[in-house]
Formats: sequence, structure tokens, C-alpha cells
Amino acid sequence: MAERLLEIRNLTAGFLSEQGIVKATDRVTLSLDKGQTLCLVGESGSGKSVTSLAVMRLLEFAGGIILDGSIRFHGEDLMKKNQDELTRIRGNKLAMIFQDPMSALNPVFTIGDQIAESLQLHQKKKKKEAWSKAVDLLRLVGIPAPETRARQYPHELSGGMCQRVVIAIALACNPELLIADEPTTALDVTVQAQILDLLQRLKQEFGMSILLITHDMGVAAEMADRIAVMYAGIIAEEGTVAEIFDNPSHPYTIGLLKSIPGFEGERGEELYTIKGTIPSINQLPDGCRFHPRCPHVMSRCREEEPPLLAINADHHAACWLHEETAAAGQRVGVSAWKAKQSRTEVKRA
Amino acid sequence: MTEYLIRRILQSVLVLFLITLVTFALIHAAPGGPAQIFLSPNMSQEAAKVQMHNLGLDKPVYIQYIRWIGDLLQGDLGYTFKNHIPVGDILWPTVKNTIVLMSAAWFLAMLIAIPWGIYNSTAEYGLSDQTASIISYIGFAMPTFWFGIILQEIFALKLDWLPLSDMWTMGKEGQPSDLLLHLVLPVTVLTLGFLAAYVKYSRSSMLEVLHQDYIRTARAKGVQERRVVFRHALRNALIPIITILGLDLPMLVAGAALTENVFNWPGMGRLFVNMALAREYSVLMAITLIVAVMVIIGNLIADLLYALVDPRVQLGRKGGRAA
Amino acid sequence: MSGAKLEAAGKPDLPRSNPKPPGPWRAVWHKFIRNPYALTGLCILLFFIITAVFARWLAPYNPSQIDLLYANLPAGTDNHLLGTDELGRDIFSRLLYSSQISLLVGFSVAIVSVVIGTLIGALSGYFGGWLDTCFMRLVDVMNSIPLLFLNILILAIFGSKFSYMILVLAFTSWMGVARLVRGTFLQLREMQYVEAAKAIGVSDWSIIFKHLLRNASFPIIVNATLMVGGAILSESALSYLGLGVQSPATSWGLMLTNAQEFMLVDPIQALYPGLCILIVVLAVNFIGDGIRDALDPRKKIKIPRRRLNQWRKDYSKFGT
Repeated sequence: MAERLLEIRNLTAGFLSEQGIVKATDRVTLSLDKGQTLCLVGESGSGKSVTSLAVMRLLEFAGGIILDGSIRFHGEDLMKKNQDELTRIRGNKLAMIFQDPMSALNPVFTIGDQIAESLQLHQKKKKKEAWSKAVDLLRLVGIPAPETRARQYPHELSGGMCQRVVIAIALACNPELLIADEPTTALDVTVQAQILDLLQRLKQEFGMSILLITHDMGVAAEMADRIAVMYAGIIAEEGTVAEIFDNPSHPYTIGLLKSIPGFEGERGEELYTIKGTIPSINQLPDGCRFHPRCPHVMSRCREEEPPLLAINADHHAACWLHEETAAAGQRVGVSAWKAKQSRTEVKRA
Repeated sequence: MTEYLIRRILQSVLVLFLITLVTFALIHAAPGGPAQIFLSPNMSQEAAKVQMHNLGLDKPVYIQYIRWIGDLLQGDLGYTFKNHIPVGDILWPTVKNTIVLMSAAWFLAMLIAIPWGIYNSTAEYGLSDQTASIISYIGFAMPTFWFGIILQEIFALKLDWLPLSDMWTMGKEGQPSDLLLHLVLPVTVLTLGFLAAYVKYSRSSMLEVLHQDYIRTARAKGVQERRVVFRHALRNALIPIITILGLDLPMLVAGAALTENVFNWPGMGRLFVNMALAREYSVLMAITLIVAVMVIIGNLIADLLYALVDPRVQLGRKGGRAA
Repeated sequence: MSGAKLEAAGKPDLPRSNPKPPGPWRAVWHKFIRNPYALTGLCILLFFIITAVFARWLAPYNPSQIDLLYANLPAGTDNHLLGTDELGRDIFSRLLYSSQISLLVGFSVAIVSVVIGTLIGALSGYFGGWLDTCFMRLVDVMNSIPLLFLNILILAIFGSKFSYMILVLAFTSWMGVARLVRGTFLQLREMQYVEAAKAIGVSDWSIIFKHLLRNASFPIIVNATLMVGGAILSESALSYLGLGVQSPATSWGLMLTNAQEFMLVDPIQALYPGLCILIVVLAVNFIGDGIRDALDPRKKIKIPRRRLNQWRKDYSKFGT
């Protein structure tokens, strides 16, 4: 088995409000091996961005607070470090790129300066040396005429170009883990594909791991080795990409997959939607967080919150439907349940 | 750049022309007009006519305006109605005195306010921030002249530490130490006024920048917090602050009317009020012109500085703000 | 507030699941009275309004009654609560009557400039085009002129009548409201319900007044409140300079002029009028800020430091 690079255990983080603390993530547990890609999928408000900011320990600056849990990166607990020590890790071995590339670059500095700064900070390079490395990086991320581009300001570049620059900044010091928070959401569809290809290529070249945050199951299918589905602050389901797509076990994941156009079902059939909306984190329902929207809700779901139950060694879901399966170590139940599920769908139609 | 400057200057000349036209028209449209002030009811018709003729007030308004503009272009600001003193002679010394007073207060306020506001933005709702907020609440709500009077009563009358008013002590004209002593109280009053606005402004400007995405990017890059504030955030936060400072430039000549009156400072603001009370229109016109020029220069400086600190702005392409 | 309204306008026959939610006025009011500063401000302002309205009955003396025999009496002598001034006029009575002037100026300037600003802003924002360009240029010009200077100039030209002063102050303070109304209109002009109203033939004026202005009403109120304070300050400054309220009428600014002349004899005289101005303006500004905060849904919550640290300690194993 590959080396464990990132291990998040029971991460509980949230924000301060008038009433007290609002938990945006609740006991999130995740792990990521070296050279792998983990996709964190969920709707907006599910806590995926909070999770990623917490890993970077940038959550404090966004007004958030980490309440509990551990984040081990390379065996070291990032939680035990202070911000000063963290500046030596951030941007060096642990890098991050963001959703909106146009606003992620400082408008008053040239692109070259912004990339070179990282090199000057972490590798103590001289200014000139850092600049030429910055130009190399621009070339690497596929920016034409990097020498001239390096002297330009962010407003002179398109959104896709800006995202490439942001990636170049993140890659400057050969990070081992790249956290990408919806890196393509703000971009045009054609540019999205280019950026994803670029990330895939760079991952191979640098042998780095990627924690990719997305709301798009399609992107996850393309990029991920493992997928974790988040719902209202918890991990609803987690497993390898094959397991999640072949054998989705949490009703929420099933709903998500069904709502992808052309993924399942006939052409012309009405697109599946999960009824209701994601609950706001300060008024969560009792019991399972998904139960008001769940088509298979049982009385137990209303009272007790399900833990993450093992479906097999590589697949976990937080749903009471799988309690027996988990206990028996079988996986028959799921398929049986799935068959029943599709029958009810037919009836409904 | 030069093309931009030339265009701006031409625009400014046009604006100035309009301002003089409007002011001139207003003065002559006012009930009674300028003649009112020196014609006493018991003056004979003949005498009045002679007076009017001497001052050129019997001509049509447009002729008067053209004559005034013509004189102005030769550097002649005209004469006062009452004593027939050249306006320039009484105006220019007061302009100098006002600039001494105001620039002292302005620089002091900037020097205190900008670093303070920046510090407060990094320690929101801390002790220093709360103090600044109280100061700006009071600064915005307190009549500045009253503050001046209270300072006079405490420091000049009760404690006798500082001179009560004026710019120089009799017989000590020209001594820098004497000037400094006289400056303390009025500068304190004016500084408080500027400070209230500038601290608030630089704090909110900085806070806005600190919540921007690119600051998060800088932190994600591993930049230390001090460098985040002073390198990444500061330059962006300074952009709007600099603009405001440029736009406040006309205050340097026009903003001290109250304080100068309280402290009997021989400046332009006091002259303006006295001449307004005496309805000496030629002086009022001259001062209006000076203020208008300052407004235009302030706007131009604000624009130039803006283009200097913000790479997104290019002067040639931006249609300049009209003053 | 606008959200609720939009919904109501956009889908008029949608059944409401909840009983009618509290109206926007009530919601703002509830938040407002929970803000201690705003509430204090409101109480103080009400107090001053009441004393101004009943000044005639509350004042023990005629404020302009000169009695040189009893000039410069110290506070508390002979039924003169705060003493008398250099002409023997009762200071307390003068303060009471001055509050009439100040509040009258404050509120009437606010009202007149809201009317001017709303009109200009509405026309600008609704019709756009060259009209908008002209008006916004005017706003820019007005904003770059030192306003006290302009006030003095105009009053010097036209003379210092009380009604002139109100007009002059209003003509130099409408810009904020105009910008605000224009901004709201630009935003809302594109909304569907405005399009719909246009399509069914509602007239422009009726759209402006019935639909759009209602959405701008709260920010206008905030702006108007803050303008009351500004106008009171400007009035006192102009009166102090001798260009505002003229004797025998009285105003806090005018009282300060007298007080300064006689500060060698009776220094305490200068204290009262200035303090009154400070307190009233502070109260008005607190009210304005209170309304603004009550309106702002994203208002940053000020959490007491101690409570916050306690939370950190309780919840977090690692201090930051």
C-alpha cells in the first residue's frame, strides 16, 4: 500500500455566530495516499470548502475556528503547529488553488512577481533566479510567450490564463499535496477541460497528490482515485471511484448520480432531482441529516445519526440501510436494495 | 500621458470659465447686486451715479464680466469696494497663512491616521480600534469651533500654557518658535477633524482588502502575516486612500474658515467670512477662483496618483473626471 | 426586505406556507431597539424634541429679554438655572429656544434634500442616458467643492434669511441620496416585475413611486437621519460665523459667538450650547447607524472578547 500523505480525523470546524458555534463540518475523516487524487464532492454549503481551508489552516483567517480533530500531513499534526511554523509548509509542500482565478491574483503585482515570491520565500532563491524559474513555470502550465506574460498584471489575462498562473504559483515549490477548491467552476466549459487536463498531467509529472473539491460528479469521475461525498457537514459516503459509481450506497449519492444528465435512464425522461434543499448548518434536523429528503427514510433515521459504516474495506457510507451489510461483511444487500429502488422508480414513472 | 495632461488642462480651463461665469451672474442677480453695499440711502442720485460709474457698475453685466476677466488675465484681481485696496494685496498673505496652518494639520492627521487605521484593521474591535471609533464618533458630531473654544479656555486662559489666538505675539513676528506655539491649538482642532474621517477610512479600506481572495492566495503561498499586511494588502488599500487625499486638497485653502475664526488666524478662511459679512464681492470672487483652481488641481492629482498606484488604470483611456 | 417584496410581486398567487412573516418595518424595529446605542440616541432625540416643542412653557424667561442689571449671573442664582449671559438673558431659556431652531433646521434640511436627491436620483436611474450623465456630473462637481465654503458664498450673496439657510443647506446636501436612489434604480430597473409592470402599461411615474422608491426607502431613511446631524452642525457653524440665524432669534451657534466674546468673564457659558450640539448630533448619528445596522443582514456580529475566548477554550484544543 502506498504511503499515507494526508490523514484527517474527526475534523470538526465551524464559525462563530450570535447563538454560539455553528459547525460547518462534523467529525470529517478522510485520508489520501501519495500520488492519488481524492475528490470531495457535495453541494454548496456541504462543508467541503471549510474542510479544505481547515487543512491549510487558513480557516482562522476566514473567521472560522477548528474545534476538534487532527490533520496529519506527512505524519505531522498540522493542528499542533502555530501560524508561524505553518508559513513554512504552506506554499511549499502543501499548496492550494482557488475557485475564482480572476480575484485570486493581486492586481498590483506582476504575475512574475507573484510566482517568484513563493520561490524567494521557501527556497531562498535570489530575485533573478526566482524570476527565471517563474518564467519556466509559466511555460510549464502552458502559457504562451511566458517572458512577456511574466511582466504583465493579472487584469491583462483571461480567466483561464489566470487559473494557470494560480496553478504555477501553487506548483512553484513542487508541493506534495495540491488542494484545488473548485478550480474550474468559474471558467468556461472548454477552458475547464484544459485546466483539468493540465492538473492531470502535472500530477503525473510531479508525482503529487491532489485533493480536489468539486460539486460536479462528472469532474470527479474523470479525476478521482477516491471520492468522498459530503452532505451538510458530514461525509455521507466514501470509497474508490469504481465503488462509488458502480455501487453507490448512500441515498444522497444515488440521487446525485441520477441527477447527472445522461448518466442513467432514457433520453427524454425527466431529469431526476433530489427533493428539498440542503439544510442550513445552524438548523440541522435530528437524526440523519439527510432524512427529510431521503426516499427510504425509516423511523430510526429520524432519531439516531448513522455513523460511517463499512460496506467493504474500500467503501463506507453513513446510512442505516447498510447496518446489517456492515455487520455481516456482505455486499449483497446493496444490489438488492438498488433493484428495489429502480422498481419503485418505474412505478412512479 | 502628455496628451492626457493637455486635455485635462483644457477641460479645467473650461470649467474655471464656467465657475466664474456662474459666480459673477449670481452676484449680479442677487437682490440689490454689488451696488447695494456702498450706496447709502441718504446719498444723492448724482453721487450714486458717479460712484457707479467709477466702479464700472453702470455698464451691462456682460461688459463688466469681460472687463473683470481681462483684468484677471493680467493678474489684476480688482479692488475692494469700500477702501479701494487691491484685492491681491490683502488676499495673497492670507493664502500663505492658511496653507501653513492647514498643511501642518493635514500631514499630522495623515501621519497618525493611516498607520492607526491599518493597525486597527488587523485588530478589529480591540482597544485601539474602539478608541478610534469613539474618536471618530465624537469628531463627526462635535462642532469643531466649539472644541476650539474649549481648548482656548483650558490651555490659554486657565492654564496659560499657550497663546489664546492670532498667528504671532506682538513684537515676535517671524520667530519660528512663536509660530509653533500659536499653531498648537488650531492644528489640534483641525487634526481631530481630519483624523476622525481618515482613521475610519483607512481602516475600512484595509479591511476590505484583507477579505479579498488574493490575500488568501498570499497566505496559501506561505507568506508571513506581517508581509501579507504590509506588502500584499497595503498597496491595494492605499489606492482609495490616496484618491480621497487628493480630493481633500481644496480643503487646504477652504476648510479652515471656522478654525481660523475661532483662533483669529489671519488666513483666507477668515478673510472670506469677513468679506462675506461685508459683501466685498471682488474679494469673494477672487477666493472662489482660488478654491476652484484647488479643486481642479486636487482632482488632477488624485487621478494621477490613482494611475500611479493602480496598474489597472491607464490615463489615456480613462475619460478624466471633470472638476 | 426587498427579497420578500420581490417574491410577493413576482408570484402573487403563491400560497404562503407560514403565517404572514413580520413586515420589514417591524423586523428592523426589533433589531433597532435591541441596539443600546440606537435606543439611547432615540431617547435623547425624543427628549430634545419634547423640550423644543414645549419650550414656550418650559422656559422660565423670555430668551431675548435683556436685563443688564443681572448680566453674567453664575448658575443657580435667582431662578436662573444656568445663569445669565452678558446681556442678562437667561441661558437656560435660550438653550431651550435654540433647540427649536436646530431641530427645525436639521429636519427640514433633511426633508428638502431627500426630496431633491430622490427626484434627481430617480430620474437619473430610471431614464439613464444623457440625463443620467448630466446629473451625475453635477453630483461630482458638488462633491468636490468644499461645502461650507459654498454655503458661506451663497448666503453672502443672497443674505442670511432663515428660509434661505435651510434651502442653501438642502441644496448642498442632496448628493448622497441622489447617488443612493440612482444605484437602487439601476439595480431594480432590470428586474422582472418592473418589466412586467411596464408591459401591462403602468406609467413610468407610477413605477417609480409605487415600486422602485419603496425598495429604496430604508437606505434613504438612514441617509436622511445622518443628514439631520450634518445640517445641525452646519447651522451652528454658519450662525457662529454670523451668517446663519440672526439676533434676536437664538441658536446654539449664535450663543457660542457671544460666549467666546465673553469667555474671559464667564468661561462656563461656552460649555452648554456646544454640549447640546454634540449630544443631539451624536444621538442622531447613533440612530442612523442603528437603522443601518438593523438593515444589514451580513452585519458583523460583535462578540465580546471574553465570551469568544471562553468558547475557544471550551471547544478548541489548540489555541490560535
